[in-house]
Amino acid sequence: MVDVEGVAEEVGKLPNVVVSRNYKYMCSDPGQELIIKDIKEHKLNRVVVSACSPRIHELTFRKALQNAGLNPYMFEMANIREQVSWVHTDRNEATRKAKALIIGAVTRVGYHEPLDKRTVDINPATLVIGGGISGITAALEIADAGKKVFIVEKTEYLGGHTARIDLTFPHMQSAAQLLAPRIKRVLNHPNIEVFFNTTVDEVYGYVGNFETDLTQNGKKVNLKFGNVIVATGLKPFDPKVIVGYGYGKLPNVITSVEFEQMLKKGKIETKEGKEPKHVAIVHCVGSRHPDYHEYCSRTCCMIALKYANQIRSAIPDAEIFDIYADMRAFGKDCEEFYLQTGRRNVLFLNFDQQKGLPRIGTPLISKASPNEKFEMIIEIDERLSGERIEVPADLIILMVGMEAHEDAKTVAHAVGVSMCGNQFFIEKHPKLDPVATTTDGVYIVGSCQGPKDIPDSVAQARAATARILGTISRGKVEVEVTTAVVNEEICCGCQTCIKVCPYKAIHFDEEKKVSVVNEILCKGCGTCGSACPTGAIRSRHFTDIQILSQIKGVMSLEVTEI
Amino acid sequence: MSSRVDPNFKYTLKGFGKGDWNECYHCGNCTATCPLSEDGFLFPRKGVRAIQMGLKDKLAGYLDPWLCYYCGECSKTCPRDANPGELMMTLRRYLTSVYDWTGFSGRLYKSMKAHIAVVIFLFLSVITVFLILADFSIPLGTTEEGEKIVQLNAFAPHEFISTIDHILLGILSFFLLTNILNMFIKVVIKDKSIRVPIYMYFIQMWEGIFHFATQARFSKCEGKRTYWFIHWFCMSSYVIMFAMIIFFLAWFQTDNVYPITHPQRWLGYYVTIGLIFGSVYFLIGRFRKNREMFKFSHHSDWIFLILLFLLAFTGILIHIFRVSGLPLATYIAYMVHLAVEVPMVVTFVAFSKWSHLAYRPMGIFFANCKKAVLRKQYKMQVSPAF
Repeated sequence: MVDVEGVAEEVGKLPNVVVSRNYKYMCSDPGQELIIKDIKEHKLNRVVVSACSPRIHELTFRKALQNAGLNPYMFEMANIREQVSWVHTDRNEATRKAKALIIGAVTRVGYHEPLDKRTVDINPATLVIGGGISGITAALEIADAGKKVFIVEKTEYLGGHTARIDLTFPHMQSAAQLLAPRIKRVLNHPNIEVFFNTTVDEVYGYVGNFETDLTQNGKKVNLKFGNVIVATGLKPFDPKVIVGYGYGKLPNVITSVEFEQMLKKGKIETKEGKEPKHVAIVHCVGSRHPDYHEYCSRTCCMIALKYANQIRSAIPDAEIFDIYADMRAFGKDCEEFYLQTGRRNVLFLNFDQQKGLPRIGTPLISKASPNEKFEMIIEIDERLSGERIEVPADLIILMVGMEAHEDAKTVAHAVGVSMCGNQFFIEKHPKLDPVATTTDGVYIVGSCQGPKDIPDSVAQARAATARILGTISRGKVEVEVTTAVVNEEICCGCQTCIKVCPYKAIHFDEEKKVSVVNEILCKGCGTCGSACPTGAIRSRHFTDIQILSQIKGVMSLEVTEI
Repeated sequence: MSSRVDPNFKYTLKGFGKGDWNECYHCGNCTATCPLSEDGFLFPRKGVRAIQMGLKDKLAGYLDPWLCYYCGECSKTCPRDANPGELMMTLRRYLTSVYDWTGFSGRLYKSMKAHIAVVIFLFLSVITVFLILADFSIPLGTTEEGEKIVQLNAFAPHEFISTIDHILLGILSFFLLTNILNMFIKVVIKDKSIRVPIYMYFIQMWEGIFHFATQARFSKCEGKRTYWFIHWFCMSSYVIMFAMIIFFLAWFQTDNVYPITHPQRWLGYYVTIGLIFGSVYFLIGRFRKNREMFKFSHHSDWIFLILLFLLAFTGILIHIFRVSGLPLATYIAYMVHLAVEVPMVVTFVAFSKWSHLAYRPMGIFFANCKKAVLRKQYKMQVSPAF
């Protein structure tokens, strides 16, 4: 769509342009060689490549400049592929637009300044917030690699929710057997220091050099570390808010958390100490419901099947009802587990989330009349039959979903991670970078990122560990050079920039009464620069003169009627 | 009104055929493939779910098994080999016991030993009665034309046999009619969702009779023409035989051997061929399991077919011995014939398999009444007769 030869020829005539070439694959090795040869031959000091997107090949060409002995930032790219040839159909107009973009790049590159890459040393210690299965897995992995780990745990015990579980699905392994040896190792590990009953209120610093102040037993402790793993986990949903379930009013309506405790004690019984003959398990309590949480908590279905199996083994003649909305048996061996459970005389009843009383999609639990042989009745709209049915029950287990801790916001603020609408922490990229966050050096693992089972949490913990050990082994991290810089002569001290900075990279120098940018925290987003009322903040590589000259260049071709 | 769930219902149902329907995961292929299933009367999947959940009250009002002719398409398409077709047979037996207020039906269905014991007891009772009351030494008699004939009416006077028949008919009719009334209460009266106005019963009545006579719903089941014919032939033979024995025994049971052109002999041959052909066809089918509907056989199926065969077979023997002029052999064959007939009628007419002859047309009749209401009230797409 673009007359490339013509463009190359005309660009060659522009002021300050020494040489203009057309080559099919400029990003290839011979293409780069061509640039290097030209730089040396013509003693060039700036280069413009007009080709694809800078997101793809800017680094490639910067490297070529560096190899030729030039500063890599003396380079500009004009994107005439995505912005021109792929999106236009008129050849003449497209060629004109390509030319305009290249002129803009040429005028801009004239104002480029050499910038130096900077690196900082990494503190090899790591802070792990949360002592659940994710936290202790990550801590052990890093500590075993010979690096120092601090675990900060809110409660007085390690193991988190895994410590409250009896058996794990689908292989019915004991959670205590999984956990106990690891906790013991953590407590005895020379490289691990655990702070119980402690929370992290504020983390200062930047990747490689974080700091925090903790209060333990009334004493202040200052910790220095290079990376942070956030493993604060989850909170079970409180079903009291769902009126129709009668939780808190009917004594034998219990949550899955309470049932786990019952299983750990080794006896399934009602509050009156009787063996329940009718046991109902209700799925999706607080999950997949517009009034509570719209998301799926992912683990409850399989835990419910685990309960059905455990109840069948403990009370062989019990009637077991599994009242589900949708059975989610994804993952290794889970579908098989579902099939197996179905063969153990468990009646699966599908409740309709679109119909029902008293609110959308919740079964209704009420006390049975005293002359019945059972204690409670669950009324549901059964989806597969289309009938409204009554289910007898002596014990009802509510499969409560997972939700974020109330103090998730505090943690997010302390370490500088963002949260989604459900108060779970957001990863850097949902597919390609699932454990890192937008703050370098801060990683999120386990259920604080979203509902998760043990294998997924452990996998995440180990993934984060690999990332951290990688940074530690490099010793240094490169930090962004296209940062903001304050001209202290012009700064009026209004602190507008501090309020708008999303990375907490600017602080106020009380002595000089000016703002100071921490160049290691700064990501060069430019928000402060545009907010500064006096023009005291300059974003490197995106200075006013560079941008204005580029605009001027683009507009320099006379505008013809459209 | 909601129904109570009973997961142990499958153990109750087991005695009537297939109890555990756990294989079914409700894909709905069976209902989709069924040529007879329609809006308002969807089967067989709904019935499977009702059984899984043990909704006894709902099941008691189901008409599904009376509307199905077991072509077996559902079982063939079932991806889980759950045999939904067999559901219909199981439910048919179960519902027969539900309609039966005496509880006798349930006992016959649930226990093969009980059923056989009742049959043998009645068989021996009839033999005993004959041995005590009848005179086996009555010789050949002579007609006005001077031909030698077996004096069957002297051995067993048709007035006497007819009286016994009528007494038996009265008792069994009482049970069958009260069972049908029970069915009517469970199926129509208790179904609060559809109110059938009285005039509707009169409008729809002829269709019940039409279906009783023709079994025309079969025509919707694919590839079932042969099966329909044999089933219908067998049924009509039985009905004709029944009518002749109950109402026209004096005309049917004669000492004179009429010429081959006489209608008495035609009807006799028709009935005999129908019963022999039908019972042998079904027995061989059930033995070889060559069709979907023959794959599962309940003991009531076997007992019914064997008695039916024996009935027809002894009927042929009576005829042959009579025509051949062998008095003693005729008397013995006649005795055995009745000894087979009595247990067959007593156990099957009101309490077991044979009762479907009454329940099916009644079921279609009730369904048609309901369908007419559905069409009128809800503008539902339900076909009238079929």
